[in-house]
Amino acid sequence: MTPLLAIQGLSVTFATRDRLLPAVTDLTLTIAAGEALALVGESGCGKSTVAAAILRDLGPSGRITGGTVRLDGQDLSTLSPAALRAIRGRRIVMVQQDPMASLNPAMTVGAQLAEVPMIHEGVSRAAAMVRARAIVADVQLPDPDRILRSYPHQLSGGQQQRIVIAMALMSRPSLLILDEPTTALDVTVEAAVVQLVKDLCRSQGTALLFITHNLGLVLDVCDRICVMYAGEVVEAGPARAVFDAMRHPYTQALFRAIPVPAASRDHRPLVTIPGTMPQPDALPPGCRFAPRCAHAVAGLCDAGPVPLLPVRPGATTLDTRRAALPHMTRCLRHTAIEWDAAPTAFDPQPRTAPGPVVLRVAGLHTHYPVARSLFARGRAQVVRANTDVTFDLHAGETLAVVGESGSGKSTLARVLTGLVTATAGQVRFHDRPIGGVPVADRDPATVAAIQMVFQNPADTLNPSVSVGRQIQRALTVFRIGRNTADRQERMLGLLDRVRLPRSAADRLPRHLSGGQRQRVGIARAFAGTPQVVVADEPVSALDVSVQAAITDLLIDMQARHGTALLFISHDLGIVRYLADRVLVMYLGYVVEAGSTAQVFAPPYHPYTEALLSAVPIADTGVKRRQVILQGDVPSAVNPPPGCPFQTRCHRKDQVPGDLCDRMLPDLRTLPGGGQIRCHLPDAVLAAMTPVIAGTDAAG
Amino acid sequence: MPLDWTGTPGALLNPLLAASVGLWLTLLALRLVAALVAVWRATPVAPGLRRASLWAGRALGLVTCAYVLAGMILPAGTTGIVGGVIARFAPAILTVATVIGLSVGLRRRLGVFGLPFHSTVGTIGAALVLFWVVTALLYGGFGLIATHDPLRPISSLRNALPGSPVPEAGLYPHYLLGGDSLARDVFSRMVAGSVIVLTIAPLATLTAVLVGLSLGLPAGYLGGWTDRVLSFAANLILAFPVILLFYLLVTPEVASSALPPVMAAVLFGAPLAFVAVLVHSRLRTQPGRNALTLAAVLVPLAWLWAAVVSQAGTPVTFLPARLDPLDPDRGLLVVFVAVVFVNAPIVFRIVRGLTLDIRTRDYVAAARTRGETPAYIMLWEVLPNARGPLIVDTCLRIGYTTILLGTLGFFGLGLPPESPDWGSTINEGRKLLLVYVHPALPPAAALLSLVLGLNLLADGLREQSMADR
Repeated sequence: MTPLLAIQGLSVTFATRDRLLPAVTDLTLTIAAGEALALVGESGCGKSTVAAAILRDLGPSGRITGGTVRLDGQDLSTLSPAALRAIRGRRIVMVQQDPMASLNPAMTVGAQLAEVPMIHEGVSRAAAMVRARAIVADVQLPDPDRILRSYPHQLSGGQQQRIVIAMALMSRPSLLILDEPTTALDVTVEAAVVQLVKDLCRSQGTALLFITHNLGLVLDVCDRICVMYAGEVVEAGPARAVFDAMRHPYTQALFRAIPVPAASRDHRPLVTIPGTMPQPDALPPGCRFAPRCAHAVAGLCDAGPVPLLPVRPGATTLDTRRAALPHMTRCLRHTAIEWDAAPTAFDPQPRTAPGPVVLRVAGLHTHYPVARSLFARGRAQVVRANTDVTFDLHAGETLAVVGESGSGKSTLARVLTGLVTATAGQVRFHDRPIGGVPVADRDPATVAAIQMVFQNPADTLNPSVSVGRQIQRALTVFRIGRNTADRQERMLGLLDRVRLPRSAADRLPRHLSGGQRQRVGIARAFAGTPQVVVADEPVSALDVSVQAAITDLLIDMQARHGTALLFISHDLGIVRYLADRVLVMYLGYVVEAGSTAQVFAPPYHPYTEALLSAVPIADTGVKRRQVILQGDVPSAVNPPPGCPFQTRCHRKDQVPGDLCDRMLPDLRTLPGGGQIRCHLPDAVLAAMTPVIAGTDAAG
Repeated sequence: MPLDWTGTPGALLNPLLAASVGLWLTLLALRLVAALVAVWRATPVAPGLRRASLWAGRALGLVTCAYVLAGMILPAGTTGIVGGVIARFAPAILTVATVIGLSVGLRRRLGVFGLPFHSTVGTIGAALVLFWVVTALLYGGFGLIATHDPLRPISSLRNALPGSPVPEAGLYPHYLLGGDSLARDVFSRMVAGSVIVLTIAPLATLTAVLVGLSLGLPAGYLGGWTDRVLSFAANLILAFPVILLFYLLVTPEVASSALPPVMAAVLFGAPLAFVAVLVHSRLRTQPGRNALTLAAVLVPLAWLWAAVVSQAGTPVTFLPARLDPLDPDRGLLVVFVAVVFVNAPIVFRIVRGLTLDIRTRDYVAAARTRGETPAYIMLWEVLPNARGPLIVDTCLRIGYTTILLGTLGFFGLGLPPESPDWGSTINEGRKLLLVYVHPALPPAAALLSLVLGLNLLADGLREQSMADR
């Protein structure tokens, strides 16, 4: 039986001004009808190029230099542009990462959806609208008629991505290509969207090419997996077989670099991959992973190109009906490596006992006025970004703040650093009140003592100023160092401490990788030996292998300086890995607080329960209870009455009466020591089972 | 004996030129039609046509080069008017060719200055601009290129046709591009005009950009009330009939009052304040270095400012004559005021827009969390990252200013009437345009080529700034 899509020996190069760069080399893969294949790898490994090559949409500089792409046995490279257009958008459909890039901002959602059958099948406008309404209901959007009439910008990110998926499925394609479709979405929304795609593809018999860097999602969605590194497939096979017995050092290293919410750093330390992916114009001669591989043997691994080898010689394919490839690896030593050996890990810093309180937040409220014109009627509206937030931060401890976007966690960071002033409540740094003091009015010592690490590595450094000068500027402003030469020496010392070469000082940020820039951001924040560092999603924009290294660096810097770290994240895996205590925020309220062990074990706040269940886990040994939240975070301008979470709560019916609708629950202390803001009776709380159960979940 | 247009080489080259121009234009037109058809039918364009038009273009280039070579090598007098003009421009042409050749070769090592040379369009633009800059330098510095005194009439050559012989001995034997209505050499006046245009246009534009920056950065960064007031003022000025303002400025009653010097004081004070804030915001934490740098920068600048503003015989005279070497022409002030008035609000809007975008970046937030002042953030965090679009815009704006200068001269505003700048000369030539075309055309062509060069240069820079992202 011919597979639906067969790529044989595909090679793609891009021409730059003066040389040719190979992006994909000799790639072979097949997808059977109705099958889901994951293409996994870090940014720059060529996975998106594969998708573009399938649709022959490589732009003016890209060229397919070898191999064939066949759809149902027909070679796509021989097709005329007109025939190719008939296939794009009808037989093969692609969903991109940013939903706004796929939607026309000037057309209503309904008109855009209706266009698909009108163009591809020539149906009438009325009939097309009927189908559009049906598919909007299929992707589980509330109030389809209102959605059809609205413009893309009136929908939330999750709703937009659902519309894009609806549009993709409108023409009932044979193959759906998803290119990082959920990277821009919150975890809870991601879980719902992934579930939706999985169900719809099953019911329509659509094959799926799922491009992602998130190994956890792969296990949820896909039958087979292809791991790419530097333009090559390094390991391929049935998803469960690969996850249970990884046979390529890169796949294993990738897996070991991901923190999972089932284990803390004392049980499962992260292992970072040394070095960086080779540039396409400087590929090593033999195995492309060899320079970073702990198992590489000189003379063998760097001798010449490595072929894809079957893991079990002579093994028959697992499922001949689907013509699936067996488990293959591009490693010459896959039989020699001791795969189950415990990783020789980075030595986790011993946790320091928390010191005295450095920062005390009590009853903090932060409201933003909503901009309105002179002629608007009614009362002035405010965004309630933080409501009644209370916590203490001790020297040397890590407090994680967790929540979806719109939960007010970034506002909290901005209040602490003085970018925004509090509306009410107390923020005390030692004994100085700072909640109402903007950063411009703080004395240099306080400013230096509370610093911030930012999220976006592309944005955190001034692109026009060399790295060294940016760190030196921080030293100058904090009035550290006697003179310029002294500050220069201190700056170089900081570069050493964040493990950057001293030569990086003269480089501009654009010459550094994302991870390196984040290291500079950390060096800058620690320049004034701060007592509190607020890290706002410092690793969420980085590749998984880099995330581990940056996380470890943060822990290391913190331990060295005894700094209190306020770590803002939506990634519960990392939170479990490094936090001592956790605050779960929803719509500006703290809904659960406690030590990491308390928060990650039952009883949970229903929101924490849903967050935990939404985390994709790349481990076949871990079992999860599914709790999928419906809907989006309500607007903070117009929060629901009573409990803020009542509009999405899956346990609302377990609360007697209409308590949730009427009354805001207090933050009450549970017998175990944690605090939750919930009306659920003690009996229900006591009966809760763990969301994540697995090999080492007990820790 | 009067010169003909192309002289001896023309006999061979003129037919070749006609053929290559005709072929090139035809192929270009065909290519355009083919491209439109290709869009309509969604098929790729046949590559043959593209190659053919490229070859025709190269042939045209070769013929042009042949003219240039002939003009430089063959003796003057045998190569006609075209050859004569080329021979006079030879130093400029050779300099430009050398500089451009070196720049294209070394573009990777030149950093920012190598940027325009990565694209054909940018290289052509840079060559055109450089040609006029070199011409102005060679004439202004060494008196080269021009054939006669641009201000001295030779009475028998009133409205003389191009190539007319000069009766006086000891002078260049011909008026290459003819004489104007006051019997002065049109070619020499065009060359002399380049000096005026190329000093005033960039300086006036720079002043306007500085004023636009000083207002646009705070409006965009601080927002709120500041932004509303400044934006409203900018809109008001953009809606104001500026010609009225220009006329007001030159009416004798206004011109003799204290208004123009006061305006000059404010206008030329803007760069001074700008530099002061620039230095202070950077060095505020190191008082010693701050004072030293401020003094080193501000004392000469303040003296320059005083010398320009203070003028004997006007209500604003405060500098003793010994210290006051600069007494710019009053007309110049009108030019500066006009240029700033017309351009500053537009620069303001561009800068404000860029600032609104850049202030949301994390590095601006990082600067705020380490307690930087707004002035530092505006000048050292925001401005350097807005430079790409600003440099492109400034290039275009020098072009507009050149045209505005022409317009002002055309109305008899600004520069003195005998000034050889291109705007005034075009205005002069306009009066007899229906009878004698030749006095108005050379300055018009010069203006056109300079502005075109600036626009192409801006295009090339823009292309590169896009490619780097």
